[in-house]
Amino acid sequence: MKNLETVLRDWEAVIGLEVHTELTTLTTKMFCGCKIEYGAEPNTHVCPVCLGMPGALPQPNKAAIQSIVLAGLAVGCTIEKRSMFYRKNYFYPDMSKNFQITQGPVAFCMRGGLDLEVVGAAAKERGHREQTRPLTGGAQGYLTHIGITRIHMEEDAGKMVHKGGESGRISGADYSLLDYNRCGTPLIELVTEPDLRTPEEARLFLQKLRQIFLALRISNCSMEQGSLRCDGNVSLRRRGTNALGTKTELKNMNSFKNLHDGLTYEICRQAEVLEGGGRVVQETRHWEPSTRRTISMRVKETADDYRLFPEPDLAPYDLSDEFIAGVRALLPELPDERRERYLRDYDLPLHDANILAYDVDLADFYDAALQTSAKEKSTPTQQLAKQLAKLLINEVLAYLNAHNLTLAQTALSPENLAGLAGLTLSGALSSKQAKAVFAQTVTNGDSPQEIVDKLGFKQVSDVEELTAVARDILTRFPDKVREYRAGKTGLIGFFVGQAMQATAGQANPVLLNETFTGLLNE
Amino acid sequence: MNPTKDTAGNAPEADKAKERASKNPGKRAGENNNMPLAEYAALNIADIRSALVAGDLSALDLALAAQAALEHLDEQVHAFVQPTFELAQTTANEIDSHNVRATGLAGVPIAFKDNMNQQGTRTTCASKMLANYQSTYTATCVGRALAAGALPMGKLNMDEFAFGSSTETSAFGPTCNPWDIRRVPGGSSGGSAAAVASGMVPVALGSDTGGSIRQPAAFCGVVGFKPTYGTVSRYGVVAFGSSLDQVGPFGRSVACVAATMDAICGRDALDCTSQDVSFSYEQAAHAGTEQGIKGLRVGVVSGYLDLPGVHPEVIAALQGAITRLQQLGAYIQEIELPNAKAALSAYYVIGPCEAFSNLSRFDSVRYGYRRAGADNLGEQYELSRSAGFGAETIRRIMLGSYLLSSGVYDTYYYPAQQVRTLITQDYERAFEQVDVLLTPVSPRTAFEFGEIADPTQMYLSDIFTIPINIAGNGGLSLPVGLGEESKLPVAVQIIGPQFKDFNIMRVAAALEATYDIQRLAPLVQEEHRRTAALRPGEKSAAPRPDAESKPKAHHDDTPAAHDTRLDKTAGEVQ
Repeated sequence: MKNLETVLRDWEAVIGLEVHTELTTLTTKMFCGCKIEYGAEPNTHVCPVCLGMPGALPQPNKAAIQSIVLAGLAVGCTIEKRSMFYRKNYFYPDMSKNFQITQGPVAFCMRGGLDLEVVGAAAKERGHREQTRPLTGGAQGYLTHIGITRIHMEEDAGKMVHKGGESGRISGADYSLLDYNRCGTPLIELVTEPDLRTPEEARLFLQKLRQIFLALRISNCSMEQGSLRCDGNVSLRRRGTNALGTKTELKNMNSFKNLHDGLTYEICRQAEVLEGGGRVVQETRHWEPSTRRTISMRVKETADDYRLFPEPDLAPYDLSDEFIAGVRALLPELPDERRERYLRDYDLPLHDANILAYDVDLADFYDAALQTSAKEKSTPTQQLAKQLAKLLINEVLAYLNAHNLTLAQTALSPENLAGLAGLTLSGALSSKQAKAVFAQTVTNGDSPQEIVDKLGFKQVSDVEELTAVARDILTRFPDKVREYRAGKTGLIGFFVGQAMQATAGQANPVLLNETFTGLLNE
Repeated sequence: MNPTKDTAGNAPEADKAKERASKNPGKRAGENNNMPLAEYAALNIADIRSALVAGDLSALDLALAAQAALEHLDEQVHAFVQPTFELAQTTANEIDSHNVRATGLAGVPIAFKDNMNQQGTRTTCASKMLANYQSTYTATCVGRALAAGALPMGKLNMDEFAFGSSTETSAFGPTCNPWDIRRVPGGSSGGSAAAVASGMVPVALGSDTGGSIRQPAAFCGVVGFKPTYGTVSRYGVVAFGSSLDQVGPFGRSVACVAATMDAICGRDALDCTSQDVSFSYEQAAHAGTEQGIKGLRVGVVSGYLDLPGVHPEVIAALQGAITRLQQLGAYIQEIELPNAKAALSAYYVIGPCEAFSNLSRFDSVRYGYRRAGADNLGEQYELSRSAGFGAETIRRIMLGSYLLSSGVYDTYYYPAQQVRTLITQDYERAFEQVDVLLTPVSPRTAFEFGEIADPTQMYLSDIFTIPINIAGNGGLSLPVGLGEESKLPVAVQIIGPQFKDFNIMRVAAALEATYDIQRLAPLVQEEHRRTAALRPGEKSAAPRPDAESKPKAHHDDTPAAHDTRLDKTAGEVQ
């Protein structure tokens, strides 16, 4: 099989995604009062409604409607004031009523889109840059717009566990277990236009969508737990042609890497079929990460007939202007806007702004820390902002990654991080001391000043005191002084190092450097 | 047609009860459980209230009398699929131990159509599919009736999943019309109508999707009311056609029906199609008898009586009612309903479509009938559903499945919804001109078992009731006496504007007061004569009616454990 790069030279891949997001931050299900809880004992969060008992009727969850409108506004959709729920009828045991309540031709959110920035290595997959824009500032990469067809509301199915048999799949299983805890969990399904052209674009789109949904705090968006799921539709066409080819639907791409790799495999597979004179069959294919290939699940000879019709148990939804305005007022700052602010107001390096702005927890922490320090200190905000960003990325993120923790799982508070930033910025702490202070405050929550006092950390920044130390060192190493004066200026590091040792690391290294230079050039 | 003739003379028994109620205050609970059958059978809600207040009867007396009535009568009628005597006695004891309330439904024996969930009972929908289904919760309408103090006597027979107009499609065998046990009680709420007509309970609940309350009420000579869609919560009532289904009461009088409505109506958070009710049905009915209906405008639909197949007795009944309304000072006006003729077609699209989807949950996976021997899931569905559902149910499911399939949907379902809008507008226009409409309920009186074998002929028996479900209005079936030749009950239908059911109550109560008609089937008197006083568990020694005259169950595979034809041990809930 040819590799992706070769294939994409001759073929254009047309990719669309269907992204399902469970609204996990809601407390109750879509149409009943059962709790939403991942990993609970099977069938403990169930009632007549979500079990599809005879006679039970759905009661819509208003908070879920608010969440989907929030999502729609965040990705530039038009909010349809009048929409309806529909029944999608099909038999499967995980769907207790044997129909899924979903939406019809008009969804709550229609016609939106996102700009996608494709930079660095990711940009290399798209050799042909038609219909893209260059990045501002001349960075390597491109900007492309991905249309969003719609976002509609639906209810999730339960879970099936197939026992016996080899594959863990239903065929060949001895029996299947059903857990309806998830059944009826509110789910929003976002459908994109077929605007994506490379697996990297698909991966970046999903990543960006996840960052937005996390910022909206409507879901925990965990691909591992299945609260964020993505199916892909992919077809190929010869470069320069417009007609769409036959598509296949890809399932089981339950990580960003799997999404990328699954699409890559499928594109290459289709190219091989087409180049061999064959025909792509319209079908659903399953990505198998273990064998790194897609396998056919079922051939769609005809479109599935879900017998969609308006749900008679639920009245059509009329969203008022006030409701929509109310939701709009709840829209938080979105990641793109946040990055703009960091670049504009704090002049952060692009790298730092990217890391902070697209992680809502980190960014909220960062903003909170900045706010506390702005209240207390007169340090110039930009300087402190940069210092804080540096600490967050170099110390905090490194710590979290090393210990596999989230911010909330540590004792670190925004106030204490701001305090630490202030101490390092004023030169009161050496970077080595700062690390030691961080190591304590992140575990015990003590304020950096308390820790400094307790450890007796004090950076010596007194010029007279430092000059005395420096003179002492120069007297002890007359040979080195001669060598330096003969032109071996690199020895300055040696002198500073000696002085640091002599002061047990408490001397301000920047000032020491200046002092030595001054003395040696006398 | 001789609506004023009182042939059975059961009214004096009711008078006796009232008399005793006033003479014997301070009687203790359980002392009066040897009430004569005809006396119990004639009680209405007002009688029960006054007897309870006077202390002449206790709730337990009533529970026991109802139980005795069931034990004596239901073998012939087969209205009940599951008596709940223990539940009734427990409820009665609770009422007696608290101070008896003279309002609501305190001490009123009631029974529920078996598509209504009631915890502690099976809810079978008269289907093999749900023959063993134990309710896990209680329907709002049932819960509200019980909260108002009603005594739950049991679950009532019906057409399977409410598909039918004769109660012949019940998997547990049909119910007989108490007026003539060779005839059907109507359907689908045939058990509810027959239970009231035979005096076993003064009120019962049924559901009406296309006439399933009003038509059996007419066939059995009792009052049956389908409120405006949205008036009574559907939560817990096994759905047939969600946009058409409405719960309503059967009763011995308009007042009984009104009092029951007040107990069960109103907004329920669990049914988002339900609405608040801002008036009292009982007061509306009271206004009808006290203030009359002078000046009210009554519409009569042009051409309705010229439709083919409308029986002369039905025409006579309607004309008689018109005369009486005029005598009461009402204006009679002819009304055009140009689109009503399309109602049946729209109904047989919308109904099966919704039913197909609503019945999908009965798949043998979580509950319900499961046929052994399937090799895979698809086969399990197929085998279980084919064997669990009766023929009419399967017919409706297949019809709905076809009508909703792609390509067909646009030809049928979509136009049916448009027709529905037109019909609704017809009624809206009509009620700009009149306060109520007066129509027949059914084109004919009760027919014999097996008489209508062609399903489409059966569907035609609902032509006067179906348009009201399509439009969503309320409609009441008021008995106006017996047909001159047939000696079977005949009724008229009073229809009101949406959410103005008080018009119906007012006119129905006023019109009812002009009739002095027999409300209980002769069967009650016959049984009464055989037995002097009844105690639960005692049976009269008189011979039963010839078993041969009873229709046989249509389903040979009726589940034996649930053939609860008053098998007192098998039928009682645990």
